[in-house]
Amino acid sequence: MSRSDLAPKGLYMAALKAAFTKLDPRQLMGNAVIFVTAIVAAMTTLLALRDAALGADDAAVSLQIAFWLWVCVLFANFAEALAEGRGKARADSLRATKAETMVKLLASEDDSSPKEIASSSLRKGQLVLVEAGDLIPTDAEVIRGVASVDESAITGESAPVIRESGGDRSSVTGGTRIVSDSLIIRIVAEPGKSFLDRMISMVEGAERQKTPNEIALNILLAGLTLIFLLVVVTLEPFARYSGIVIPVVTLAALFVTLIPTTIGGLLSAIGIAGMDRLVRANVIAKSGRASRRQAMSTRCCSTRPEPSPSATGWPMPSCPPGASAKGSLRRRHSLPRLPTRRPRGNPSSNWPKS
Amino acid sequence: MPDLIGYILYAIVLTGGGYLLAAHMIRVYAGERNLLSPLLGPVERGFYSLAGIRPGASQGWRGYALAVLGFNLAGFGLLYAILRLQGLLPLNPDGIGAMSPDLAFNTAVSFVTNTNWQAYSGEAQLSYLAQMAGLTLQNFVSAATGMAVAVAVIRGFTGTKDSGLGNFWCDMTRSVLYVLLPLSVILGLILILQGVPQTLLGAAHVTTLEGADQVIARGPAASQVAIKQLGTNGGGFFGVNSAHPFENPTIVSNMFQTMAILLIPVSFCFLFGRMAKDGRQGWAIFAAMSAMFVLGLTVIYLGETGGNPLLGAGANMEGKELRFGAALSALWAEATTAASNGSVNAMHDSFMPLSGLVTLINMQIGEVIFGGVGAGFYGMLLYVVLAVFLAGLMVGRSPEYLGRKIEGREVTLAILAFLSMPLGILVGGAISATVPMALQSVQDAGPHGLSEILYGYSSAIGNNGSAFAGWGAAEPWQTTALGLAMLLGRYAIIVPMLAIAGSLIAKQQSPSTAGTFPTHGPLFVTLLIVTVVIFGALTFFPVLALGPIAEHTALIAGQGY
Repeated sequence: MSRSDLAPKGLYMAALKAAFTKLDPRQLMGNAVIFVTAIVAAMTTLLALRDAALGADDAAVSLQIAFWLWVCVLFANFAEALAEGRGKARADSLRATKAETMVKLLASEDDSSPKEIASSSLRKGQLVLVEAGDLIPTDAEVIRGVASVDESAITGESAPVIRESGGDRSSVTGGTRIVSDSLIIRIVAEPGKSFLDRMISMVEGAERQKTPNEIALNILLAGLTLIFLLVVVTLEPFARYSGIVIPVVTLAALFVTLIPTTIGGLLSAIGIAGMDRLVRANVIAKSGRASRRQAMSTRCCSTRPEPSPSATGWPMPSCPPGASAKGSLRRRHSLPRLPTRRPRGNPSSNWPKS
Repeated sequence: MPDLIGYILYAIVLTGGGYLLAAHMIRVYAGERNLLSPLLGPVERGFYSLAGIRPGASQGWRGYALAVLGFNLAGFGLLYAILRLQGLLPLNPDGIGAMSPDLAFNTAVSFVTNTNWQAYSGEAQLSYLAQMAGLTLQNFVSAATGMAVAVAVIRGFTGTKDSGLGNFWCDMTRSVLYVLLPLSVILGLILILQGVPQTLLGAAHVTTLEGADQVIARGPAASQVAIKQLGTNGGGFFGVNSAHPFENPTIVSNMFQTMAILLIPVSFCFLFGRMAKDGRQGWAIFAAMSAMFVLGLTVIYLGETGGNPLLGAGANMEGKELRFGAALSALWAEATTAASNGSVNAMHDSFMPLSGLVTLINMQIGEVIFGGVGAGFYGMLLYVVLAVFLAGLMVGRSPEYLGRKIEGREVTLAILAFLSMPLGILVGGAISATVPMALQSVQDAGPHGLSEILYGYSSAIGNNGSAFAGWGAAEPWQTTALGLAMLLGRYAIIVPMLAIAGSLIAKQQSPSTAGTFPTHGPLFVTLLIVTVVIFGALTFFPVLALGPIAEHTALIAGQGY
């Protein structure tokens, strides 16, 4: 997948708009550094306007400082909005594979007159007949028959694999296609709870969870902001002692240059971008924690993941060997528990170059 | 050239001495048999049975911190009482009366916190009892407190959950008995040999050739001078400290005293390496500290031997130790501000602006270049936590130090501890530069006056105790404000550092692999130095620009202050 379809033009426009709607103080509050920058920007604007109204000499400088402070806040918002937008775009492309089809519902295993119904109305436990060329509507268990199934949409494996009733090759995943023969399958997933559905909801990332490192970094940044607040506030009396009066706007500018605005403004965007990078490598990270673990892990997903809802790996198209995300992935999809003493990846490990 | 040879000799003897001392200290703190056990073992056990302490019982970080605070509070109460009542107490041949309440508060706090800020003049305002039972006692136990805390913090970084952080009462007792006391006896004897007085007789009264009566102060000086150097206390027996010919009579006593300032702080680096069972970790921290030390020494040396451009070459001897020359004054100044010692053999107030700047920075970064006994090392571990965390983020790995993860809790506590420095120095200094009552203390006009204020508060927060002479530290405003600053600078770092240790020791230790960020190589050393410089420089550079840096540029332009 190319970069362009992840970030179409519309995405930039939407992000630009969001940069302004994110000026809502309640949203800004989530990021201490940017929130402080916004407060300073607002204060500087008021002072600059006052200067301009009074016709003070340095009004132009004040206005310029106010302008740049707002640019700083807006850019941070823009970066975050853009990163979020990309995640959403990815979810949309996944949703496209989940086509609405008609399926042949069977009353029992020996029923010879299947009833045509919409795939979205399927319930858990119902029996369905799938024949060559049909899409498997959702996650299911093979009850009768042997067939070759093209699972390339999920695993990236181009050669069809054999699915048959009984044994450990009996499960099929929604979104795969029967190539030959026919199967009678029993649905095992409630509507909206299938593997594909969960994937989509994750990519949309209702709530991005913060990593312990991110929390620690936020504390560090907030602490530094407090320290530099002390630095700038006390500079005024020190300067006065030395017989200099520093304009408040100048102090505000100094404050913003001292506090870690760059990292503070881009922190959430970095987190989202990291997850986005993983998505491009066809691994979904529910949180930045998983993406960090990914970077550290040298464990592979099981050599060739079984494409089933209860599979040990997360089958995805073109899963690069050696890529896996621990953490929430494991909890949700029963990835094999990695040893507690987790081997650390060295920089030249299997991290996909993307 | 002779200066350089002297410096190199100093470095070699100091490193070797520190290394050997660490070998002794590791046995002491592990409670194993050591060189002095046959002699002092029974004394140690006697103390424990008297106080009802079980030496093996490890405390949690809260218990340890409470023991530290309780012990120091009791020490403060005792010292305050002695200072206020010294007129009524024995061993007072010169009939010195009670100290004023604010000065007694300041003095008691300063000795309990290992600062030894001397707003008083020892020979004029203290009885021998107050000097010996009051101040010298605190010289020992405040140093031992710092060492005990450092050992507990190191156990937190290197130990296991089962061994725990240790027991404050044991660590403190062992620090005094096996480390401070023997070293002080040795150094005290050397100093007596060199001519430092050690007598309980009162001041000598002599009639000069003109027939005038001259009073020559003396007293039990050698014993106090020894511990004030070894324990990075710095509170001299005489008001002008080691610039007094009785306190520092010869070049030999000068070298031994300069050495004693850094001996125990240096040995803590090696002790850390031994306790971590990886000597390289200790060497790395030693290397970072040494690099910063050499850099600071170079600036002071060049400034002080170079001469004052307004006066001409060689004409920069105001406030210097004339007997020993500028090079040894520079070495002492760098050592005493790098460590939280604060004893002086030259007046820092008379130094060139950039030399003054170095002494200020040494203190403002928290005195972590070797630093106070114990205090410097746990102060440096605070920067290590921050450096490891930043490094972890930069290379995209989980930040780990010695196999333990550095997470939100540690970073929060480290920032909390760090906050005490700008809070005390900048806020305290700013108030002092504004309030008219506090402004009376300032002696000199212009940027040098600001440097005086900054130096006073940096010294108090860093528990250093030296001052720019001439700054009126005895004003009631300053005695009180500085007393509070000393408390902040001591305990607002001890408690969070113990909490970090408590948090780390509970974590599982993962073995290092090829992917672990190595914390013993040159890369880490550089990173640690950069962290110290960036945190210190960004915080204090703006105000330093108004003080010593402004003074320096004014000096180049031809104006002195």
